[in-house]
Amino acid sequence: MKAKHLFAGILSLSVLLTTVTACAGSPNASSAQSTENSSQAGTASQSAPAEKITLTFWNNYTNDTQHTMENTIKQWNSDHPNIQIEASSTENNAYKTKIKTAIAADSAPDIIYTWAGGFTEPFVKAGKILPLDDYLNDGTKDKLLSGALTNITFDGKVYGLTYNQQAGALYVNNDLFEQNGVKVPTTFDELLTAVKTFKSKGITPMTVGEKDEWPGMWYYDMIALREGGAQLCLDALNKKESYDQTAFAEAAQKLQDLVDAGAFPKDVLGVTRDESVAMFTQGKIPMYFGGNFDAQVIDDSLKGKVSAVKFPTIAGAKGTDTEYLGGGADALCVSANSKHKDEAVQAIKYLASEFSSGMYLTGGGLPEWKYDSLDQSKIDPLSKEIMENIVKGSTGSVPAWDLYLTGDDAQTHLDLVQSLFGKQISPQDFAKQMQQKVNKS
Amino acid sequence: MEKMLRDKKAIFLFTFPTFLLFTIIVVLPIFFSIHYSTLDWDGFSKGVFVGFTNYKNLFVNNTDGFLQSVANSLVLALISVGIQLPISLLLALILARGIKGERFFRTVYFIPVIISTVVIGQLWMKIYNSDYGMLNGVLRAVGLDSLTNAWLADSKTALACVFAAMLWQYVGYHMLLLYAGAKSISPDIYEAARIDGASELKIAFHITIPLMKSILCVCIIFAVTGSFKAFDLIYVMTGGGPLHSTEVPTTLMYTTIFSRYQYGYGSAMAIFIIAECLVFTLVIKRLFSNDQDEA
Amino acid sequence: MKIHSDHPALKKQKKVKASSIVLFAFLGLYTLIQVYPLIWLFLFSFKNNNEIYSGNAMGIPKVWRFSNYFTVLTSGNVAVYLLNSVIVTGATIIISTILLTTSAYAIVRMHWRWNHLFLTYILLGMMVPLHATLLPLFIVLKNMNLLNSYFSIILPYVAFALPMGIFILVGFLQNIPKELEESACLDGCGIYRIFYYISLPLVRPAIATVAIFTFLSSWNELMFANTFISADKIKTLTVGIMSLSGQQGTQWGPIGAGLVIATVPTLIIYLMFSNQIQKSVIAGAIKG
Repeated sequence: MKAKHLFAGILSLSVLLTTVTACAGSPNASSAQSTENSSQAGTASQSAPAEKITLTFWNNYTNDTQHTMENTIKQWNSDHPNIQIEASSTENNAYKTKIKTAIAADSAPDIIYTWAGGFTEPFVKAGKILPLDDYLNDGTKDKLLSGALTNITFDGKVYGLTYNQQAGALYVNNDLFEQNGVKVPTTFDELLTAVKTFKSKGITPMTVGEKDEWPGMWYYDMIALREGGAQLCLDALNKKESYDQTAFAEAAQKLQDLVDAGAFPKDVLGVTRDESVAMFTQGKIPMYFGGNFDAQVIDDSLKGKVSAVKFPTIAGAKGTDTEYLGGGADALCVSANSKHKDEAVQAIKYLASEFSSGMYLTGGGLPEWKYDSLDQSKIDPLSKEIMENIVKGSTGSVPAWDLYLTGDDAQTHLDLVQSLFGKQISPQDFAKQMQQKVNKS
Repeated sequence: MEKMLRDKKAIFLFTFPTFLLFTIIVVLPIFFSIHYSTLDWDGFSKGVFVGFTNYKNLFVNNTDGFLQSVANSLVLALISVGIQLPISLLLALILARGIKGERFFRTVYFIPVIISTVVIGQLWMKIYNSDYGMLNGVLRAVGLDSLTNAWLADSKTALACVFAAMLWQYVGYHMLLLYAGAKSISPDIYEAARIDGASELKIAFHITIPLMKSILCVCIIFAVTGSFKAFDLIYVMTGGGPLHSTEVPTTLMYTTIFSRYQYGYGSAMAIFIIAECLVFTLVIKRLFSNDQDEA
Repeated sequence: MKIHSDHPALKKQKKVKASSIVLFAFLGLYTLIQVYPLIWLFLFSFKNNNEIYSGNAMGIPKVWRFSNYFTVLTSGNVAVYLLNSVIVTGATIIISTILLTTSAYAIVRMHWRWNHLFLTYILLGMMVPLHATLLPLFIVLKNMNLLNSYFSIILPYVAFALPMGIFILVGFLQNIPKELEESACLDGCGIYRIFYYISLPLVRPAIATVAIFTFLSSWNELMFANTFISADKIKTLTVGIMSLSGQQGTQWGPIGAGLVIATVPTLIIYLMFSNQIQKSVIAGAIKG
């Protein structure tokens, strides 16, 4: 009996103790991770500090991007024995929640992976991200492609380095086009004709993973770009122009024309993005509008059968075929709370430029850093097609709107486009509501 | 006995560790959330105190469909108690009688609870798929082509389809609880009833179920609070869509906090969910304790 | 056989047989419905996306892609993740079982002023939408210096398992007659002894049930584990498996394979504990 008594006593006491001691601990938990000091001083390289420091780096590098990133980080760590990068990867969706929570709790890692544009803007506004302008005049800017920093610049200051950009492309399955005697469309009217021809032969012409909302939004944003041109779109996104005007309503009308023409399967609101890509890679459908990020998967299944072409232009509209949907997307930032800001900036310069080439070479992305020195023969053909035909020599680009707009506005835009697909809203109302809800402030 | 059960030291030892851990991990965050819910706050910058504005926005001139989502969760709670629990109870009573293969059935019926929600979600999305899905396949096979549908893509049918999947998944959960409840009734009581010549049905309704009252109360409260807090399977299957037709308070809260960056407003939703659960729990407990001799 | 056909005993036997056929047909049919997901998951784990998103989503894979399993077993540290999951769920079950049995006993059996209020207080934990607690809990754990440690997820798992567990146990304890405990008291047993040797065995089915639920929720938990833990060496298995989904599209086959691997321990644990539910009653009956 005594034993039991004692046991219960010890149990409650130990619980009490751990809690009390834990509570009394210092509130700066993040410092505990980054000041993991070590007595073994390695040979100092470059301007590295004498004491060994650890930079924490959180990212979403799982599966497809893992190896390029891991190797780059390994390389850095062996080159810099005193500045070790400790990377932590989290699955994409969970990462979004995680990084937001950590930043809100002032526990961000030294180096933050982020999406340029509206995702990062709230962090910047709250002063959580280190401005980089003072660090970039050492020639770094010259190594970047022009416009690489546009989406990560807020109020005239640069807050991160991008290393991968997105670009919208219309993937066409050449086999299906040839077999059915259809011409690859270069104008919207030709697109509608192609849709109708395929439809009449019992082939679903296109698909979109509208359950996930953003893939359908890519269609709308692309058509709006062709309809209104890059400048108008950017002005509207920057709240300098109204959405409630012909170009945006007309773009909505065109999207619904596609829906009415039977371009998409009827259950498109329930199709996930993965599923929609699979329909294309199975060779069932002839056209798929997506991003360069789909290139790798498509190449894996349909090597040589697919071309990536520019989205058709609209007769009489402002947009030209030299403008594309996309721009700098993946970026690295340094936390404003970092204890080792200089080292962290030094690290992201290296990482970003290496990731840029690495992802391009493996077909995972399009570069943001100059890539002339790369051996282009190994580059994934579809990615190269997109880079050379769509991105290079372009006269303008607009980021996918959900990337550019912040939180609430992005979600509202996504929801409204879904309503267009579901025919719950007229093109005019769409334009009106975009103006009322997104540009209200 | 009486004196022993008033042993203050024992009571303290038995409850304080729980109290302490629970207060720090669960209750403290609730207080944080209450505080957040009075702010206009994106989660990162300095919040602005706005009093009850967030709560007012939930109900007055609401535009994000919060009330509809609450209504959806109420429907879920209702069918959960009205359909899911009776099935669970029936299975539990059959198994608890000690039929042949009791162990096998008990294992098998629990499988959907064991399997990760990610998988269950994928499975049901395949079943409902309009193109190659099992449901449409069955309908076509029996000549009911006109009834085939894009189940999860149609805002008229999506909610019912998601709810059906949720009901199915948790039948096993309640079954296990009720089975354990039925099993802890002394077999002597059944023996006595059988000798008296009572039928199985009579035994169930007049002996077993009344003796399981407190565990039934537990199950009903789980079903109701579980419905108000339901998230995972809906999130996997529809994410609240299409066109917000399957939105429940938690999915809306998740988007509000993590996609729309409206931390204050989202926290108000959280506090509303807690309050809603609390009220229903207390009412259900009161209903059950009324016709029970001891509290 | 020679008994007259309308002998009452035989009649009764026949009736039982007919009804039991119906019963087993029903149970069998329901078995199919319930066991299907497991079979489906197994088949799924050998497919690739092209097959998963096609007419063959339900059927037997055209090619058995064992490479899916190979991908899982070679990506990351599956063995370490598995060990971590065992440590975390094991600790969660042990700590929560101690806390919730003692508390439930105090609530139901012992006489003190606040027992009803205490129960209601604890029940609050069942009502909290977890996603709203993420940031506050992150801040609490940060101040306790526990982030990125096993405890950063064990403590929340235990705390959130308590309400459900205590509630279930309270329900069971209320149904158990006090006589046994009273007679033990007359025999001179103290409160701790009665609790441990008399009351606990009586509610063993309930404890086993709670342990199963606690196991499942902590084994499959993703949000806390993803957010509070960054170091690869303490990541759990489910987190590791979900890391197989890529930023740009997900290959579901390997994830299916990973989930098959993660489901095997759950099945074993379930079998172990659920046998306890059945056994303990027999043991209890003998004692009674």
